[in-house]
Amino acid sequence: MKMKQADTGKRMSATRRKFLTDLSVLTAGAVAGTLAPELSALAQTTSNKTGVVRVWGEPGPYGGVAVDAMNEWATKFAPGLKFQIETLGWDSVYVKLMTDLAARRPANCISVESPIAMQLMAQGLLEPLDDVVSKVGKNRIIKGAKLEYWGAWKGKQYVLPAHHQPHLLIVRMDVINELGLGNPDTWDWNDLLKAAKTVSEKRKDMAGITLALGRNLCTDYHFAALMHSAGGRMFDAEKQFEVVFNSPGTIEALEFVKELYAYMPKSAVSYSFLEVTDAIVTGKTAMAFYWGRPYGRAFEENKQVFQNLESFNHARHPKTGNRYNWNDFQGWCIPKQNNAFVDEVKAALAYYQTSPQWLVRYCQSLMPNVSPVYQDVLDNKELYTHPFFETKRRTIMTYYETSVPYSSSTANEMLKGVNPLAGIVHGRSILAETVQKVILENVKPADAAKWGHAQLEQVRKEHISLVL
Amino acid sequence: MQADWKVADNRLGILFILPFVLAALVFMVYPVLDAVRMAFFYIDPLNPTGDHFAGFDNFRFIFSDPLFWKSFKNAAVWTGTSIVLQTLIGVSLALLLHLQLRGISFFRGLLLFPYIVPTVVIALTWQWMLNPEVGIVNYALKRAGLISENIYWLSTPGMAMISTIMLNVWKYTPFVTICVLARLQTIPLELYDAAAVDGASLVRRFLDITLPQLAEVLVVVIVFRTIWTFNKFEEIYLLTRGGPGTSTFNLAIYSFEQSIANLKMGVGAATGVFMMCLLFAGSVIYIRLFRFDEESTP
Repeated sequence: MKMKQADTGKRMSATRRKFLTDLSVLTAGAVAGTLAPELSALAQTTSNKTGVVRVWGEPGPYGGVAVDAMNEWATKFAPGLKFQIETLGWDSVYVKLMTDLAARRPANCISVESPIAMQLMAQGLLEPLDDVVSKVGKNRIIKGAKLEYWGAWKGKQYVLPAHHQPHLLIVRMDVINELGLGNPDTWDWNDLLKAAKTVSEKRKDMAGITLALGRNLCTDYHFAALMHSAGGRMFDAEKQFEVVFNSPGTIEALEFVKELYAYMPKSAVSYSFLEVTDAIVTGKTAMAFYWGRPYGRAFEENKQVFQNLESFNHARHPKTGNRYNWNDFQGWCIPKQNNAFVDEVKAALAYYQTSPQWLVRYCQSLMPNVSPVYQDVLDNKELYTHPFFETKRRTIMTYYETSVPYSSSTANEMLKGVNPLAGIVHGRSILAETVQKVILENVKPADAAKWGHAQLEQVRKEHISLVL
Repeated sequence: MQADWKVADNRLGILFILPFVLAALVFMVYPVLDAVRMAFFYIDPLNPTGDHFAGFDNFRFIFSDPLFWKSFKNAAVWTGTSIVLQTLIGVSLALLLHLQLRGISFFRGLLLFPYIVPTVVIALTWQWMLNPEVGIVNYALKRAGLISENIYWLSTPGMAMISTIMLNVWKYTPFVTICVLARLQTIPLELYDAAAVDGASLVRRFLDITLPQLAEVLVVVIVFRTIWTFNKFEEIYLLTRGGPGTSTFNLAIYSFEQSIANLKMGVGAATGVFMMCLLFAGSVIYIRLFRFDEESTP
């Protein structure tokens, strides 16, 4: 059995290496013009401009793949240009973005988390992309999603879909099976709590569950999913974004986080994205809320963890039955001001977004962290050649497909309307601070919700022009 | 002829000082003046056309914000504790390093190490060392039998403040030591010889000779260290980001958060102006108290 596992590991490793080699071969092949005829018909813009086109993306190889595609366009149609990726850590993205915009030197193209994109869009800082959408195709979006989820405001599309990215319940199935805790896909909040408790009591070497509870974006995203499942929200999109945070749903979610905290690492109160990933990959936790990123790292660093990881849609709220995730409908946007390369970026985006090969490569570069946004890409057989599909098909398809009906985020709460205030809320860490009041300062959940409500009122008051 | 030389000397002096004056004007005076201006304006960096005069609104905002006062209290605790510890340890180390022992120069050189390592390197190293699960500090304490449960150095409000103070003390105590050591080496040995002849004990000699001789340098060192520590941003931000919660927020981090996260540049600037006034007033009072600005009379 051990031999068989080792063989499988070796084979997967070899396959993955081969796959990565293939990526570079494919890139070279594409440059050679394999795809040129069909794509040039769609992207006719040429440019004599010279210089570096700065592209911002979050950490990970996928931004680099997109930029490779844009450089392929540049080689053909704008030889004086070079697209260059600049990756920004999540916890610094807001600061970097705002300071660079304020300093009037934004990147020329940005892929940024949806709450920030929505804020920039409503503030009138982005270039409308309806012309690019027309070239790329309006009706390609995956089933269950709509183009406007990525960023439409007052009838115009400002964000071109790049990927969708839900956080799910990541589970160490060996531990769950060993303790006879059942099928996580059928759990409600009580089952989740019980599972976390049982693991903590029976396995002294690991935490029952790990969420980020630091004063950061990750905490905001983890908490928001629970709040939405319990029926709470920050704003009411249908009533000009009136604040509705101080609700029984929010209070219940805060109480639940406090209950779960008893089975988390004590230091979770300072955890952000990286620490949760570390906890998963190093086997320090049996469960966590997370996006697909840890699979790639676990495959490289801890095969035993990789083999036993599975992801599920979140546990259902016992009363509402909701199991919302925090799904980042992330896309490409173009700053309108102080941007010398608007037309070139539009053309390059259209070029890359109409190439199934580049889009497949984008998704495969960090499986299953960035889910395809176009149905033709999801249906593309090439996508399924990634070695992870051999053992993680169900998990990958949960990220890609079955999570979509449970999508929610702070940028579009319960998919009831794009929220331009969410970026500001995250910038001020209001959700995370509300959670920390309960966890660290022992403030009653009801009082913490009142505090958070007042903060959100202040945000709305200061930025009322964005929502009216 | 002599007058010509004098004029030439003066001109040369001005020429030498000119680069510093220009640099100071551009990088110190202008930013300070602009911060003072910004403190009285409502400024939205994303919408520059909307800037307008705000009067004292930004100051009213900070004085009515509980987080400002919490940050102020934290800054006072962080600065006060750091300075006391830096002074005590710094003077003790200087006295040790003043001893004429073999190989003492090596230790004097070693002393500079924390001071020359970049803060970002130190903060990241400390983060790892203080990691509750895999950090060497908890491991060492457990192996020594001093603790049985992990200490959450950066994850509990009280311990996070202690950790940031420890980092600050470790990094900047060498500055105190070097200043004090330099002064120690200029104290005339005759004073100690005379005191020894009079039968003064070691403690007596320290209290009656060493300490008074160190007073002036200590005043300067404490003033500078207080100003620099009170303003410190990067150590706390890199180590704890002001957390957990806002338990290690000081005024510099508060100002940063208001300016960048909240995009309230005027509020951030008002906080900076408040800090500047406070430190200026504190320094003047402190120096006056010790009459450092007056020539000692014979």
